[in-house]
Amino acid sequence: MNAMKRIYQLAILGVLSLTFTSCTKDWLERTPKNIILEEQVWNDPKQITSLLANYYDRLPTDMGLTDQNHNSIDDNQERQAQWRRMADYDDAMWSGSTNEDGRNNIVNYPFDRWRVWNYSLIRDINLALEHIETYGVDLNAEEKTSFLAELRFLRAYNYFELVKRMGGVPLVTTQLIYDYSGDPSYMQAARAKEEEVYDFIASEVDAIKDQLGNDGSQTRANKYTALALKSRAMLYAGSLAKYNNAMGGPITTAGGEVGIPASRAQEYYEKSLAASQEIINSGAYALYQNNPDLGENFYDAIVRKTGNSEVIFAWDFLSSKDKRHGFAYDNIPRSIREDNLSSSNITPSLNLVERYEYLDGSSGELKIRTADNSDFIYYDEVADVFANKDARLYGTVIYPGASFKGLTVQMQAGVLVWNASSNSYQTIEGADLGATWGGEDYPNGDGKLLTAAGGPHRSIMEVSNTGFYLRKYVDSGPGTSTRGIRSDVWWVWFRLGEIYLNATEAALELGRDADAAGYLSTLRERAGFGEHSVTAATITMERVRNERRVELAFEDHRVWDLKRWRIAHEVWNGSSNNPDAVVYALYPYRVVRPGDATRDGKYVFVKMVAPRFRAPRFFQMGNYYSSIDQSVINNNPKIVRNPFH
Amino acid sequence: MKINKYLYSLLSIAVIMVMGCEKDNYEEPTSTLTGRVVYQGEPLGLRSGGVQLELWQHGYDLFSKIPVHVDQDGSFSARLFDGDYKLVLLRGNGPWADNTDSLDVHVKGSATVDVPVDPYFVITNHAFQRNGDQLTATISIQQVNTSRSLERVRLYLGQTMIVDQNNSANTVEVLAADITDLSQPITLTTTIPASLASKGYLFARIGVKANGVAEYIYSHPEQVAL
Repeated sequence: MNAMKRIYQLAILGVLSLTFTSCTKDWLERTPKNIILEEQVWNDPKQITSLLANYYDRLPTDMGLTDQNHNSIDDNQERQAQWRRMADYDDAMWSGSTNEDGRNNIVNYPFDRWRVWNYSLIRDINLALEHIETYGVDLNAEEKTSFLAELRFLRAYNYFELVKRMGGVPLVTTQLIYDYSGDPSYMQAARAKEEEVYDFIASEVDAIKDQLGNDGSQTRANKYTALALKSRAMLYAGSLAKYNNAMGGPITTAGGEVGIPASRAQEYYEKSLAASQEIINSGAYALYQNNPDLGENFYDAIVRKTGNSEVIFAWDFLSSKDKRHGFAYDNIPRSIREDNLSSSNITPSLNLVERYEYLDGSSGELKIRTADNSDFIYYDEVADVFANKDARLYGTVIYPGASFKGLTVQMQAGVLVWNASSNSYQTIEGADLGATWGGEDYPNGDGKLLTAAGGPHRSIMEVSNTGFYLRKYVDSGPGTSTRGIRSDVWWVWFRLGEIYLNATEAALELGRDADAAGYLSTLRERAGFGEHSVTAATITMERVRNERRVELAFEDHRVWDLKRWRIAHEVWNGSSNNPDAVVYALYPYRVVRPGDATRDGKYVFVKMVAPRFRAPRFFQMGNYYSSIDQSVINNNPKIVRNPFH
Repeated sequence: MKINKYLYSLLSIAVIMVMGCEKDNYEEPTSTLTGRVVYQGEPLGLRSGGVQLELWQHGYDLFSKIPVHVDQDGSFSARLFDGDYKLVLLRGNGPWADNTDSLDVHVKGSATVDVPVDPYFVITNHAFQRNGDQLTATISIQQVNTSRSLERVRLYLGQTMIVDQNNSANTVEVLAADITDLSQPITLTTTIPASLASKGYLFARIGVKANGVAEYIYSHPEQVAL
């Protein structure tokens, strides 16, 4: 009995040991099914491209077309792309849900508002650069060079986003590995000087521009994308060097982390101009002029993706791959929305509209009152007041009576009824959209339109509060403003229009007025102005700045431009007496004045502070450079704080 | 017997719940720190919500500043735990020269502290005179710290006590270029807005700004009967 048991046990043991030994060899050397190895990633161009897509998607922007989507790690780390911020400056205000009325009531911009400290992305890029070198043995030399250059472009772009917000930041270009010695101080890098970061961007672009592939791509970096980055970054550096030192008290830190010496301005402007000229003279891009309707043409120049020769670099979306955004859903005019919710969130201000010049070159203030200010000017149609304006106005803003998607956006705030006994107009505005002046509510009314379906309205949410709607970046495709379909319009990082403006500004700063006027006139011709609408005699910095505002509105330039010119604290000084710091609205009214044929039934316009706008924009000195998070300083005592914080 | 078992277990759960709550909650701070920002013992006039001091406390894991906002009359208060704090002037924030020295503050129950600063300018004297619909202010200013030059002097009119660069019904300024001699009184005249004239009184205030500093230094608001 015992012997039997013993045999059994031995037999089982024997079988078991056999199974084990036979497997051992393969078992431990199998390729894991659930982990991708470094050797696999860095030898496969497809996988590297997928990684690159992720890095492109993480580049920061203040505006963009999406809502914040990378906040999972922590607030400082990832990008801020937030289209809602278009409502936070002076080109527009918030007319959407009252939940976000805070955007009209920003008492002052917080010091951390523009803060980005996304070294998570920098580290990922540094890691990729090193791993391609180490593991990418099977890539051919050309692919390898091109990938490395593309990664370095992304890193340079990201450092530009950091330096324009934070000033000089630590320049980390290799991965940092902790050695568990208990002393992390060798990993703590101090902030580089502000100029050093700009110099780094310039030298990176010079090093990689001829190594980049992707010829003709508008969504991946090629030679001209890198040059566009240089054009913009060097322009910023030049104006910082010039205008910071022109202030009563320049903003600087002792170590140069903030503040570029004035002596370097010339050199930076030269570099910017050279980069811009290389792009313009290459002939690789052309200003978009495919649509004979100049207003529609300007809209198409930014939004149309097919046959667009102007856009250099864009953040693309594609409905068929479910990479979409709700920008059209949130911003289409109320009266032509296709969904039952949202619409009309970002509404351009009268401030912006009046910056668009008349085609004869005269200043853009709308003609709504007679010269002696005694009476309104009466217009047959609402849209007539916008006649003969810069075509870019139509391409950027939907004004009363303009059309979108083939539909007219009719706007009327109410009626002005003439009271002969008091010799004045009485203002009547509807409580609802699409109301008629008549019926039980208004027994004296004439039964015609009181308040249009598209507003404007003083208090209703999701209808324009300013009297204007946004056109730029709003998709005109069928159904794109529904939540089911949504929009795949792209976000433009760089386009040739900006390069022309960069060239203009740099040339003017360098005293080459004729060159500057030439670039600016070319750009303005596309907007309907005649040839040579600006000459060396008439070009001024004021004019160039205005051009940047109207051409690049809602493309994430305004706040950065005001910052680098060091005028943000004066333009947005927080005073309600300052017309630049307050958002204005323009309300159209129908005149009811029976017996006066020249006035009855005509349209007049009333300018006012937008009713839902509360606090004047207030940009403080401490906003020029965003504050660095205390936890960053605690972890790395070598980081010095920015001024005023 | 069985019922007892239930009772005991219920009771123990109840006890755990009650104890658990007590353990997790911190008591709110009860001590107060009050103080003023002073020059030669006099509190300075500032912009409402404009100037901030910072309190730091060493020795804890969480090292993060406690912002202390200064009222427009130069006073401030904060509710704190007992302990030792460092009070620091935020660089470049107020209308005074930077001083990186911190002030030790010991809080036990309550504490009062005067924060001496070195302002660029002080308003030594001011008077308001109404003439019909005009208001005239006569101001004497004195430069204290000479590291920054004068940029402008402003007169503000408002309907309430809160009058400053951001809140005013009317304002007028004189630039430094038009002020030849600082030892002489400066005169500023402006029209009283109709919205204030109908109230029967207004509040007037003077602001003085040095170059390269964001904040003005103000006189204390003064009620002027109309």
